[in-house]
Amino acid sequence: MRESLSIRATTYALLALFVFMVAVPLFWMLTTALKSNKELYEDFTYLPHRPTLEHFVRVIRRDGLLTNIWNSFAVASVTTAVTVVVSAFAAFSIVRYKYRGREWIGRFILFKYVLPTAMLFVALYAIVVALGLGNTLKSLMLTYLSITVPFCTWMLMGYFRSIPAELEEHAMVDGCTKIGALFRILLPLSAPGIVASAIFSFTLAWNEFLLALVFTSDQTTMTVPIKLSMMVVGDQYIWGQLMAGAVLATVPITILYFLGQRFVVQGLSAGSVKG
Amino acid sequence: MAIRHRSVAVALPAGSRSARWPSARTRETLGGIGLLLPTVLLLVGLVLYPFFYAIWLAFSDKTVGSPGQFVGLKNFIYVLSWPQFSTAVVNTIVFTVSAVAIKLVLGMAVALVLNQRIRGRNFFRAFLLLPWAMPAFVVYLVWRWLYDPLSGLINYALIDLGLIASPIPFLSDRSTAMASVVVAHVWRNFPFYAISFLAGMQTISQELYDAAQVDGASRVQQFRHVTLPGLYHIIGVVVLLTTIWTANAFEPVYLLTGGGPSDATMVYTMLVYVMGMTNLRLGEAAAVSTLFLPLLIALVLAVTILLQKKASA
Repeated sequence: MRESLSIRATTYALLALFVFMVAVPLFWMLTTALKSNKELYEDFTYLPHRPTLEHFVRVIRRDGLLTNIWNSFAVASVTTAVTVVVSAFAAFSIVRYKYRGREWIGRFILFKYVLPTAMLFVALYAIVVALGLGNTLKSLMLTYLSITVPFCTWMLMGYFRSIPAELEEHAMVDGCTKIGALFRILLPLSAPGIVASAIFSFTLAWNEFLLALVFTSDQTTMTVPIKLSMMVVGDQYIWGQLMAGAVLATVPITILYFLGQRFVVQGLSAGSVKG
Repeated sequence: MAIRHRSVAVALPAGSRSARWPSARTRETLGGIGLLLPTVLLLVGLVLYPFFYAIWLAFSDKTVGSPGQFVGLKNFIYVLSWPQFSTAVVNTIVFTVSAVAIKLVLGMAVALVLNQRIRGRNFFRAFLLLPWAMPAFVVYLVWRWLYDPLSGLINYALIDLGLIASPIPFLSDRSTAMASVVVAHVWRNFPFYAISFLAGMQTISQELYDAAQVDGASRVQQFRHVTLPGLYHIIGVVVLLTTIWTANAFEPVYLLTGGGPSDATMVYTMLVYVMGMTNLRLGEAAAVSTLFLPLLIALVLAVTILLQKKASA
């Protein structure tokens, strides 16, 4: 009894420590966005005494962040739409069709999923420039597919494997074509997996930093991450606007992440990190 | 194996058609390849081609706008003779090893706490996952602001608590810069360890713990002899996978220090970026990443094999 009491005490003490550790930066981001410049730089306060939305107004009006939000949104949406279709086909092919060499494709997809972008960005940059796509959103839509498609294919392979093939076989006995079975049987049954892979490719594209930094150089083509990181060097007293922009970039994507996270734990456990 | 049997069964009901050309088997192959084609094109064009193109670049004097000539090992010799390169190697190792070690211990502690019967477990689980759910660039911008020597929270709080007399320039002092980058990186990434380990812990049968308790095992012994062995595979995958990601991390360094002060946080990705994008010397930039390639490939293959082993099991 004494042991379990001390264990409970330790558990809650550690929990409090972890919560504090995670909370401090979040607190600082939110309160900075809501403080006036006077409270930020002259009389330091821990809490905003007179909360104001002026930084949100300024980051949108003066810094034109809406353009960049729209860029991020366009890139992420196109990437996601293409990714879901392409990787659903690929996963269906690898899991349900029988032909020589498919194991190798599966292995290569996994290899790419693990291979970091940092290895490839110099060559990708040279290719993007050679294609005449330098400083365009198209360059991002195209190259992000090389990150999202392997990830989502790997995830959907796990999902499709967890659904018995008998259901499709019955449909095919009834005269459905094999590809028809994908659309009528497998896709509806894997809806959570499809939703999760869509959310994850959207998140990946929304958050991607390195390629966006390398490929785009213009205020009008920058995505949100690049725009905000460029603001750091511009101005000493930028933190209010910057944190307001950070909040705008974080809130929607974090909600999306949590919606998708439920599904991805299932997806991962079906695919890879199975205990 | 099971899949293969099913697929054979799939081909049979279409018997009426199989008399026609193409045969059922050819149709199966064509259909499978057709569905896979977009992915194959993508992987060839955006992964395989750049992968080998990068290696070619490392042997050329290509700059942006010029075609580039084969120059043999010139780039490698130049890069290897450069003190900045050896600094980057050491920094990458220091950064990776310390970050992975801290994330492993912290992630395990968080997973153990969340695996206890605590009130509001779902809430705390989601809350502690927040850093991982946020965009990484936001995290590093917030930490840059936390570390700010003039108006940053950390310096103010430490002074208010009487722990320091004057502000510490965390990111611009050689002695604190690397540690500060590691801390920010750990904050953002420890939840991945925690959720992976927690998922693993929840698959360990309660009976094993009950049996251990009957045998009089203490909590520590239960952890060592039941929990830890049950997590070996996941620990292996997570550590290898995140070693790759950590060694290739770019955002924390770029957004916090830019590799400074005087190269104290210059990791290899940052060096590739500076050489390729700031100095526009693509050949030398590619040479730096090519020099890291053998190590990286070994790590990537190890993870791939580990993950595949489990997926097919």
